[in-house]
Amino acid sequence: MDRRHLLKASLAGLVGLPAQAQVPRVPLMDRPFNLAPIRAHTDRIYDIKCCIRPFRTKGPRLDVEQIGDTMVIHNYGHSGAGWSLSWGSADMQVQKAMSRSPKKIAVIGCGIIGLTSALMAQRAGAQVTIYTKEQFSRTRSVRANGSWTPASHMALASEAPPNLGDTWERMTRISWKNLRQYIGMAGNPLAFADHYYLSDTPFDAALPPPPPSPVPVPEYYELGDRIGDITPTLQMLTPDLHPFPVPYARRTTRLFFNFSEYGHLLISDFYAAGGRMVMREFHSPGELAHLPEKVIINCPGYAAHDWWKDTSMVPHRGQTEWLIPQPEVNYGLTYRNVEALSKSDGVMMIDIGARNGLPKGYGSSNEVPDRAEAERAVKVMEELYSRFPAKPV
Amino acid sequence: MRLRNFLAIPVLVLTTGIAIAAPRISIWDGVYTDAQAERGHTLYMQSCSRCHGANLSGTFETPPLTGRFMPYWSGSTLDALFDYVSTAMPLDRPGALGAGANADILAFLLKSNEIPAGSKELSAGNLKSINFDSAKPARARK
Repeated sequence: MDRRHLLKASLAGLVGLPAQAQVPRVPLMDRPFNLAPIRAHTDRIYDIKCCIRPFRTKGPRLDVEQIGDTMVIHNYGHSGAGWSLSWGSADMQVQKAMSRSPKKIAVIGCGIIGLTSALMAQRAGAQVTIYTKEQFSRTRSVRANGSWTPASHMALASEAPPNLGDTWERMTRISWKNLRQYIGMAGNPLAFADHYYLSDTPFDAALPPPPPSPVPVPEYYELGDRIGDITPTLQMLTPDLHPFPVPYARRTTRLFFNFSEYGHLLISDFYAAGGRMVMREFHSPGELAHLPEKVIINCPGYAAHDWWKDTSMVPHRGQTEWLIPQPEVNYGLTYRNVEALSKSDGVMMIDIGARNGLPKGYGSSNEVPDRAEAERAVKVMEELYSRFPAKPV
Repeated sequence: MRLRNFLAIPVLVLTTGIAIAAPRISIWDGVYTDAQAERGHTLYMQSCSRCHGANLSGTFETPPLTGRFMPYWSGSTLDALFDYVSTAMPLDRPGALGAGANADILAFLLKSNEIPAGSKELSAGNLKSINFDSAKPARARK
């Protein structure tokens, strides 16, 4: 134990930290090193992206509907888990599509659910046309967080179908296996990064009461602990082991998507397999019956609220702010309800809101970027890094 | 062209269950007035321009309401656009505007896309019989 460690340990004792003996020692191999600081300044914000998560109170829509002589297989409403569940959901829905032995399949929508559905259908042997009103880079998907968050608010507890847990686990596990092929590829379309949760107070301290909510706070369907075997656990870090100027820290490792590389890869694969993209907007479900393809996978995301009149879709606004990329930063962190993650195309920050009360943005379909919110989030990180030690651990 | 031919009539039959005998007209037949479009312009600036822009050009994320607006909506009848605007817009408070206001906004959108005005105002009642044609149909040319 060096002098610095002793000093930190004694300071920790003064501020009432739990006794060191209660925290398992972190083995040498797990200790963080060379953590570069994030240059958190508002003038480094180069983009603000805003989107609506397609939360569906009844859980993702995966049923099959017949419109005239056309089979429509729904694939939407994955809430904040679209990126994570996309391959598993696509696999399930393409299996349904292939039951008709179609030579041609149409996919409606080109977000991450539509694109993976199209690729899965191609891999199953079909010729695929995507009909979309927006190219991939302009879809709501690319305005999302893009992290492995498969359990992000799947349904309301009161409206979830009885088998949702099993369906979700299947989607999650198939997605995980499919994502495996992209890990380690040039450009890192998918990457793992350590994520630090930092706090000024103990993690089990009671949260302050949330502000009164204008609408009932949603009670989400509990998925339970189903994927513990593929989920890294949280490690408690004592202050001597990390450079962050906070008394409480814990760490896990998270998987995330780099939009530019991953999107480019999927679209290239789609075209390489003979895929066709048609820019088009549909105005009523009946129009689908007039497409030449008689098997259609419907992936409209939140747009189902309006064009399919799906009243179980509830908008859930989310905003991400993007700072100039810092490839030397290879981690993410959460502090005072702001999350930061260094991605290939920028350091992403999000005000995730309080952990209790009405989830931030729930019920809001306001998709206009809020510069003030972005600056508030960046300033939380700026304050944290202003206290960052000159010589990190 | 092919799209318009095979979409317009069958959709109408599907959605109503009966074939409608009323004479069909086109958006090119002067289906709104200049005064109505002017009212629509004011409403547009109040409720729509924040996202779609004062000149209707949209943003990277928000669709433009000129240019591709025409091919995206052509082939339908005007009630489809009216229904969408009435129920889905404004995005942050869908359905907040009344039928009269939405009809006025539609008139402004038509004018902004260089569809000629006429002498009769657009009303929510007869929109099903107005074809959204991307170009002036030959039969209407004189």
